[in-house]
Amino acid sequence: MMFYFHSTICISPQAGFPGSHREFSLQEAVDNRLSVIEPAYAGIPAALKRRMGKSVRMAVGAALPLLQNQPAPDGIILATANGGMEDCIKFLNQILEYREGLLTPASFVQSTSNAAAAQIALTTKNYGYNITHVHRGLAFENALMDAYMWIEENPDREYLLGATDEISPYNHNIDRLAGWFSNTALSNRKLFGKKTSGTIAGEGALMTRVSNRSEGALGKLRAMRTIHSTDLNQVMESIRSFLQAQGRTYFPDLLITGEDGDDRLDPFYTAAEQLFPETTGIARFKHLCGEYCTAGAYASWLALEILQQQQIPDILVKRPAGSRQVRDILIYNTYRGLQHSLLLISVVY
Amino acid sequence: METAALKQQLKEQIIQFLNLTTVKPEDIKDEEPLFGEGLGLDSIDSIELIVLLSREYGINIQDPKEGRKILTDINTMVDYIEKHRTK
Amino acid sequence: MSRIVVTGMGIISALGNNLGENRESLRKEHSGIGTIQFYPTAYAGKLPAAEVPYSNQDLMNRISILPSPTLTRTSLLALIAAEEAISDAALSPDILSSDGTALVGATTVGGICLTEELFQDAQAESQGSAWVEQYDYASVTLAVQQRFGISGEVATINTACSSSANSIAYGARLIRRGLAQRAIVGGAESLAKFTINGFNALNILSTAPCAPFDRDRNGLNLGEGAAFLVLEKEEDLHGRKAYAVYSGFGNKNDAYHPSSISSEGDGPYLAMREAMESAGLFPADIGYINAHGTGTENNDETESRAMLRLFDQPPAFSSTKSYTGHTLGASGAIEAVYSVLNLFYQEVYGSLCFRNPIPSTGLVPVRHTDAARLRHVMSNSFGFGGNCSSLIFSSC
Repeated sequence: MMFYFHSTICISPQAGFPGSHREFSLQEAVDNRLSVIEPAYAGIPAALKRRMGKSVRMAVGAALPLLQNQPAPDGIILATANGGMEDCIKFLNQILEYREGLLTPASFVQSTSNAAAAQIALTTKNYGYNITHVHRGLAFENALMDAYMWIEENPDREYLLGATDEISPYNHNIDRLAGWFSNTALSNRKLFGKKTSGTIAGEGALMTRVSNRSEGALGKLRAMRTIHSTDLNQVMESIRSFLQAQGRTYFPDLLITGEDGDDRLDPFYTAAEQLFPETTGIARFKHLCGEYCTAGAYASWLALEILQQQQIPDILVKRPAGSRQVRDILIYNTYRGLQHSLLLISVVY
Repeated sequence: METAALKQQLKEQIIQFLNLTTVKPEDIKDEEPLFGEGLGLDSIDSIELIVLLSREYGINIQDPKEGRKILTDINTMVDYIEKHRTK
Repeated sequence: MSRIVVTGMGIISALGNNLGENRESLRKEHSGIGTIQFYPTAYAGKLPAAEVPYSNQDLMNRISILPSPTLTRTSLLALIAAEEAISDAALSPDILSSDGTALVGATTVGGICLTEELFQDAQAESQGSAWVEQYDYASVTLAVQQRFGISGEVATINTACSSSANSIAYGARLIRRGLAQRAIVGGAESLAKFTINGFNALNILSTAPCAPFDRDRNGLNLGEGAAFLVLEKEEDLHGRKAYAVYSGFGNKNDAYHPSSISSEGDGPYLAMREAMESAGLFPADIGYINAHGTGTENNDETESRAMLRLFDQPPAFSSTKSYTGHTLGASGAIEAVYSVLNLFYQEVYGSLCFRNPIPSTGLVPVRHTDAARLRHVMSNSFGFGGNCSSLIFSSC
């Protein structure tokens, strides 16, 4: 794969990368939600911003600085699983309140999943390839694969790749009723090993420019795989074969897992950890960003920051890495135990 | 209701309905075009304002083209409301 | 690399429960647009729509194996169409569960058709209905994934009206890049208060059967249905039939307005042009276009302008939405199936309810079913958010 990440902007519940060279204070979950810290979004025209729901606002806000005064990317490839759901349910409320009578259309128009990608194209007059992936816990990974396929076929191209998802109060209720978020207040400081089901909701957006150019890149996507299976052995076998495909005795310097404190998913993460030797460090991230469909995007951003800064922040560490150098990072994440992803990101070479 | 008070009320309602968070009532001039230049509203806003007229003033505008004429500026809107309101 | 061909198709719509019935209705010029019978909306009887004439229970009875007891109508339609396509392509269970088989779905409604249930769950007013994991778009694709044990690449796309055109193209690219050996691609959509009221609030629904490209057209009718195609490499046929070749694809953004297309049809023009270039074709090679043709003032005029910009002489074209209504997330796939039928049977279908051309363009669509010599057919899908896609299929 000749696929490199260039400039990135990440909007998350934390105030930047938790590097150990300065004070980092972990933002705490409130009512089992880790809500983003939003920047001022100076670049979004007021006429558009007034209509935007949070997930669209985050996406557009993160994308515009990467696009203004830069060569236009050849396309915009986004992922969102529940982006727009808040506006959707607002519109449904109107339908029920006014009994399908005279309704205002603004929230209907904003509720479509492709609203963010559309607004970015509109604001920057980008006529290129424009797509929105919505495949739940693999939406971001599919968007990544989409971008990778274009670049492999057209090495001179560059794309804006991103993900956005918000905790809409309505969506949070639905996921809580489905048993995925805890009914009792959890602290993200004590998320792991709690031996109960449910976790903390999160949200965030990531935007990045990707191409096959290595100079100036933040990191390289070496390999990736997506898996649909609830069978633990099958998933572990897939991870093993993925590692072997990188080299007979290959192991990354760091494994980042999507462990989120939900004891139904712990077996996947525990078994996965056992596939790696002691020299592979283990880190976790969902106590920083919470659980949501496109959390893999946040993990990718963390990986790129770790590779750039060559340090693994203590707050992420479950087991220290054996090597002082961090050359490559494998992210293993599962969403609800059915969808799994492997992203292998390395230093530029 | 007096015309001046109605104008003020309408401006406040427009700001709230269209979520114009950066605009204050005094920023909207009575004779300034609401669409195109001026406030820069678009076709989705024109539909929203027709709904506003229905919900707040009981006015039903069936023809969208007629609607655009009524929605030219605050003066034309207030004029129409005063003549046709049922609430 | 080997050409990519269509080896199987499955479809359910207001025109029929399978491929044969759909083709029959098209040939006989029988529209599926009528009164809403099953879906509980205040607009039943006021707004025509192309409803699949079965209750959810009837649909469930038509599916041999249900992957779960709780399936939304959208998922049920998807399962029916997918089952037909898979059987048509003669894909064995081993092939289906091999990691070379990809699945790409699309929908813009998903489980949102369950208005009241979604509302109640969203307010957390109950213990949670049985539907709490069925509202999202992916639930439809995952129902098909689960039913057939698909373990290759699986994806779901939502780009409004162009969704399933994009899922077809995505599946083809997975094959071209060696990330899949074959791909089951398509989309599904069911009627929903969400879309009925949404489009109505935008004043683009017609109270009469839609009249695409007609001077007096005044809006679209909604429809529902699902369609899937099986795409494979020609070298993997091993004696099985192929309906048509998947030749080209364009995806461009109009970048003008959230819910309408630019007056000169920039996005549509660019998408059609890219599709032709990707297929190595010239305008004169396109024998027929299955237009997006929703019957709205904006779409039909802008699509016409785009055709006039691209073609010195626009080819024969029509809109099958005059039969099926606008099936939103399923429309790209449903119309791709009809385009493949055009090629396989060398026929074109008429655009119903057309009487007078749009004065500024003068374009007249095909009005009746007719035999035609076709080598390349284009299928357009243009939507909200400026998402414009165009597919080209060719005879084998």
